Amino acid sequence: MTTEFAPPVLELRKATKVYAGVPAIEEVDFSLRSGEIHAIVGENGAGKSTMTKVMAGVVNLSSGEMLVDGHNVSPKTPNDALRIGIAMVFQETSLVPTMTVAQNLFLGQERYFNRLRGIYIEAQQFMQSLQFDVDPTAVVSLLGAAKKQMVEIARAVLHNAKVIIFDEPTASLTPEEKKYFFDLVLDLKKRGVSIIFISHALEEALLVSDRITILRDGKRVVTDDKDTFDRARIVKEMVGRDLSQTHYGQRKTTVRQQGKRVLSVQNLRMAAMVKNNSLSVFAGQVTGVFGLVGSGRTETFKVVAGIIKRDFMHGGEILLNDRPVRYLVPAPAVRDGVAYVTEDRKLEGFFETKSIAGNIYLGLLAKLRGKRDLVSRREEGESGEHWIKRLNIRAISKDVKAIELSGGNQQKVVISKSLIQDPELIIFDEPTRGVDVGAIAEIHQLINQLADEGKAVVVISSYLPEIMSLSDRILVQRMGKVVEEFSSPEATEEKIMYAAIH
Amino acid sequence: MTAAAASKNISQQTIVFAIFVLMFISFSIFLKGFFSAGNLLGLLQNVAILGILGLAMAVVVIGRGIDISMVAVLAVPAGLMLQLAQEGYPLSMALLAAVVIALVFGLINGWLIAFAEIPSLFTTLASGLFLAGLGQVAFFRLDVVQWSTSLDPISWMGRGTLLGVPMPVIMFAVVAVLVAFFLKKTRLGAFVYAVGDNPIGARTTGIPTRPLIVLQYVIAALIGAFAGMVMAASVNSMPTRIFNSTLIYDVILVVVLGGIGLSGGRGGVINVIIGTALIGTLLNGMTILDISYSAQNLIKGIILLVAILIDSFLNPRNEETAQQGDI
Repeated sequence: MTTEFAPPVLELRKATKVYAGVPAIEEVDFSLRSGEIHAIVGENGAGKSTMTKVMAGVVNLSSGEMLVDGHNVSPKTPNDALRIGIAMVFQETSLVPTMTVAQNLFLGQERYFNRLRGIYIEAQQFMQSLQFDVDPTAVVSLLGAAKKQMVEIARAVLHNAKVIIFDEPTASLTPEEKKYFFDLVLDLKKRGVSIIFISHALEEALLVSDRITILRDGKRVVTDDKDTFDRARIVKEMVGRDLSQTHYGQRKTTVRQQGKRVLSVQNLRMAAMVKNNSLSVFAGQVTGVFGLVGSGRTETFKVVAGIIKRDFMHGGEILLNDRPVRYLVPAPAVRDGVAYVTEDRKLEGFFETKSIAGNIYLGLLAKLRGKRDLVSRREEGESGEHWIKRLNIRAISKDVKAIELSGGNQQKVVISKSLIQDPELIIFDEPTRGVDVGAIAEIHQLINQLADEGKAVVVISSYLPEIMSLSDRILVQRMGKVVEEFSSPEATEEKIMYAAIH
Repeated sequence: MTAAAASKNISQQTIVFAIFVLMFISFSIFLKGFFSAGNLLGLLQNVAILGILGLAMAVVVIGRGIDISMVAVLAVPAGLMLQLAQEGYPLSMALLAAVVIALVFGLINGWLIAFAEIPSLFTTLASGLFLAGLGQVAFFRLDVVQWSTSLDPISWMGRGTLLGVPMPVIMFAVVAVLVAFFLKKTRLGAFVYAVGDNPIGARTTGIPTRPLIVLQYVIAALIGAFAGMVMAASVNSMPTRIFNSTLIYDVILVVVLGGIGLSGGRGGVINVIIGTALIGTLLNGMTILDISYSAQNLIKGIILLVAILIDSFLNPRNEETAQQGDI
C-alpha cells in the first residue's frame, strides 16, 4: 500500500513553535506516508508533544507550514483538525467520564432530537464493525484504561480520521492490553489509516512502526526506516549531543568528597507513583536525579519536603540526619532546613503581586516564625539588595514586581526565597526550565557553590547534559524507584538513558 | 505589558476616588440639603457600620476568600448580648457571650474552609444561614432586641460624638487603623497577602496556610460582631431581621469597588475607605432624590456587576495562565 512516490498524507515544513521566547520545536521537517505507522521518539522536552499538538490543532505554529494531501492547512482548534481528518488520542483521555460510551462516541454530533436508544444501537453496530468489545451503555469512568482507549480510537475512526496520533498510548496499559493495542493499530493500518505514535518505550517503536523519527532539543535528528535502527542506535541519536554545543558547559571531571548523610529514604511508597524507593543524599555534593516523566522523581522529593498533601504516603521511612521525619506540610520541613525549589514557579513558586524584595523577605518570615512578629521594611530592603547582588538578579530595582521579570530572573527570585531560609538540604526540581541561556550558567554556578559550601544539593532534571555537568552522583529513577546509581566519572549519557527507559 | 496592568491597578483606585469626588461635588451643587453639616454627619454615621464590615471583608478577600455570613455575625452576637442584658445578666457576661459566639463561629468557618476545604462561598453561605437561624430560634424573643440600661457603660461605642464626629465614625477609624496595622506591619498580615496571592506558593515557602486561613475568618467574625455592637449602641436596639436585607451586597460592593481584587493578594484599608465613601455618597444621594428602595437595589446591582466585571479584567485569576509554556 505504501508507495514511495505517493504524496505524504501529512507534512510539516520548517515547523517552529516558540513558547515565551523559548523554541519547543525549531524548523522541524516531518512527513507521514499514507498508511504507515510512524513512531516519534525523544527525551522529555525534545518537542514530541508540541509537534503532534501542532498537527492536531491544539497549539498553533509560530512559523513554518503544514500540509495535508499536499494542501496548505492550519488547523486552529482540534475540531478544525478533525474536519481535515486528523485525530489525536491524548495521554490523559479526553472522554467525558460521566457519560456513557455511546454518548462519548457521538459527542458533538448529536442530532437536535437525540434518542439514547438510537445511539446505543448505532454505537453497538459500530463497535462490532471494529470488533471492539466495549458495552456502549457503560459509563466511561468505570472503564479500564485499555477500554477507554478503544473508545477514543473508535471515536477517531467514526470521524473518518485518516491520521490518528497517539501520545504515549501504552503508558497506562498492562502487557496483554498492550498486545491487543498493537493488533488494533495494525488493523487500523490495514484500513488505510496513517498512525503517529509517541513513545518512551523503544521496543514498541521497534516492534510495530514502519519508520521512526527522533527528536532532540526541538530539532529533528533523523527519520529512517525501522530496519535501520536498533536499540543502541536510537539511544545514541536521542542523547548524542556535542556537549560543547550546548549551553550546559563542560561535563564534570572532578567529584566532590562525600560528606555526612543528610537524607536517607527507605522503601518509600506513594500511590502509584513511588514504589519502594530508597536513596541517600550526602552533604557537600550535588546528587543528580534523572528519570523520564512518570518515573516518580518529583513525587519522591515532594514527599520528603512535605509538599504533597497528607495521606498520600503509604509506607517507608525518611531519615533526616538519621532522625526519622514525616512532614505533612512544608512548614516544619522548612524549619528543619529542607527547601524545595519548584519546577513550576508560576503555580507554586513566586508571589506575583509582590516585589523582588517582598518575595525574598516572605521566605525569611516563613523560616523565622515566632521571632518576627512585625515586618521591617528596612530588613526587607536589605535582604532584597543582598540576594539581588548574590544571584545577580537583573532588574531596575528591588521593588520591581516578580511577575514583570524574565523567566531566568523569576527563577533566581524563587531560589533566593529558599536560600534566605538557610537550608541544609536543597532540592532543585528542573532548576533551569524555561530559563534563558545566560541565567542557566549562573544558576549552575550557584548550585556548584552551594555544594562547595557543604550543603546537600539535589538536582532533579530531565535534561541529561544538565545532570552530567552538575552531579557528583547520579541516581536514575524508573517506574517509581531508583534503579541505578552512577558516580559522575563512570556515567555516560548512553548508560543513563539505558537505565531510564525500559 | 504587566507594568501596564500594574498601573491600571492603581488607576482603578484613582478612578473610583475621582468618581466619588465628582459625585460629591455634583450632589452638593444640585441636591438641596445634601451639603449640610447635618446630612454629611448622618451620611458618615450611616456608612460607618458598612465600612467596618468592609474592613472585615477586606481581610478575607485579600486572603482569596469571601465571607457571606458577615451580616449574621453582625446581628446575632450583638443581639445575644442585648437579649442577655434584657434578661438580667450582667454586662460582662453578656459581652463575653457575644465575643465567644463570634470567636467560635469564626473558628468553625475557618476550619471548614481551611481543613475541610469547602469553598468559602458555600461555607459562609450555609454557616451564615445557620447562625441567623440559631439566633431566631434559640436566642431572640422578638425580631428587634432592645438596648437595656445595664449595657449603658458600653453605649459610648455608638452614641455621642468626639470632637463633633459621631462615635460610629470614630470606631470605623479605629478599626481601620488596627486592620491597616495588622495587614501592613505584622508578619501574619504579610502572610495573609502571600496566601491570597499564591496559596500553593505560600505553602511551599513554609507559611502555615491553613491556620492562617482560620485566623482570617476569626478576625472577620470578631470585627463583624464589633460592628454589631456599634450598631446596636447607635440605634438603641438590634433589628435581627437585618440578615434578610441586602446589606451583604453593599459590603461586597464596598470592597470590590474600592479595588480589592477578588482574586486575592491585592488592595488594603485605603481601598475600603474609598469604596465606603463612594457607596455612602451614592446611597445618601439616592435617598435625598427619593429613589425607591427597589430602584436603589437596581442601581446597586448594576454597579456591583460592572465593578466585578472590571475587577476580572484588571485582576485576572491566574489558574488559566498557569499552564502556559506546557511543552
